[in-house]
Amino acid sequence: MPHLADLYRTASLLLRDRHEAEDLIQDTYLEAWKSFHRFEMGTNCRAWLFKIMFHRLHHVRRRLVKTSRVVTIDDPDGQVELAAEPVVPQEIRDEDVLNALAKVAVEFREIVLLADVEEFSYKEIAETLRIPLGTVMSRLSRGRKLLRQELAEVARSYGIDPRPKRAGAAEIA
Amino acid sequence: MNTLSFDSKRCERIRQQLDSYLSNELLVETATEIVRHLESCEACSRDLESRMRVRDALQRAVAKQPVPDSVRAGVLRNLRESQSRSLGTTGRRWAVGLAAIAFLLFSLFGGEWLSLRRGQQVIASILKLGISDHLICAIKGHNYPELANSPDQIRKKLGASYAPLLRVVQERLPGFEVLEGHVCSVPGSDRKYVHFITRGQGTILSVILTERNGASLPKGKFLASAESAGLSIYEDHLSGMEIAGFESAQYFAFVVSDLSQHQVLQVARELAPALNEKLHVTGHILTPIANDGVADSMNLRILTETTQCDEKSRCRVQEQRQNA
Repeated sequence: MPHLADLYRTASLLLRDRHEAEDLIQDTYLEAWKSFHRFEMGTNCRAWLFKIMFHRLHHVRRRLVKTSRVVTIDDPDGQVELAAEPVVPQEIRDEDVLNALAKVAVEFREIVLLADVEEFSYKEIAETLRIPLGTVMSRLSRGRKLLRQELAEVARSYGIDPRPKRAGAAEIA
Repeated sequence: MNTLSFDSKRCERIRQQLDSYLSNELLVETATEIVRHLESCEACSRDLESRMRVRDALQRAVAKQPVPDSVRAGVLRNLRESQSRSLGTTGRRWAVGLAAIAFLLFSLFGGEWLSLRRGQQVIASILKLGISDHLICAIKGHNYPELANSPDQIRKKLGASYAPLLRVVQERLPGFEVLEGHVCSVPGSDRKYVHFITRGQGTILSVILTERNGASLPKGKFLASAESAGLSIYEDHLSGMEIAGFESAQYFAFVVSDLSQHQVLQVARELAPALNEKLHVTGHILTPIANDGVADSMNLRILTETTQCDEKSRCRVQEQRQNA
């Protein structure tokens, strides 16, 4: 089954529920099967499947919005603040990075996963999520930074100073 | 405005583009500007390193996430049930049957599309880095002498592992003079390049080799522009540069220049079979330098000193050290 593992891992990290992720994957492949005549051979079928999955995912989200209060996070301007740049630990454990990712709002988490794990281009992500290219860029920048901040927090919770021990390595203010 | 505030603004501007740099979404010119800044700015370099560390850790962690067998079983069950429900009329049965066959074919060959797509991404990334290396090291860094280094000097810089390749480049590029050969890398990337800088036909042409590290050029005709002795030659162009290359068992090899596409392809076709043969014959000694426990100290020293050498001054220092 092509791309099943990629789709499932992404789904489970976004929904954070194994059963909901399995349902989403089943719906995705069923939808793909039904609309296979619309798939253009020679185009990127992996991107096509992700597009279907995210379309279904947004249906799931809309359902969740009706039953719970969801705080929508507007895009910040994506400005990088030098002084506030989080310093991540030198060694990052798998569980720490996954826990940190889980704390990142889903609007940013999905883009980080699509860009950094699935290695889709900005254009492909924009098409998959049906959002403008500029929003992809700003959300990715913000999402990555939130992830670094969470990792820096994890390190601090262990009582570890994540800053590398280098003489004279002053941050630019 | 003092120097610090100027540098801060420059750093801020660079850091705003680091995410796109990391995603390989920048034009070569912008990427080159960032690379040059990273060379001289420890803080930004550390920032990029930190971002790469997080991305790599995330990729590793996600890849280790188990996929329960029940997912696949559930999908197949769901498809079967849906198919049974659909088997109402004869006409629909045909339609469903055809769709099932198509989807089965898709399932069987979908992996090919994935590998092709990933291959294209990897190649695009490697091609871009290859072009960056040519632009930074050969064109902007002018990392070659006006009078060609002697073959002995070049062989010494390449080290025992890569020295045998010099003769191939010399023999297969008639009309091109090999000015320089060394091992280098682009700042912000761990990828190492064996880099030959040649001059001919009124311009500079680079021959660049880099380890495949398990990556493959996509099989099929999608990126291949030509063939030479059974080897597929792949071609792309960026920022006024043409690049053509092929893969051997362990390496990607590229020809980069601002010559025409036809000329660069021609050079690549001339070079590919002999270079592939040499790489194959000497494959057992062409282990990655970073992990090469038997690499001689000179080889490692040259690698260290030529790593990220994009400034003429730095390379002069390197030349002086090697001459001394």
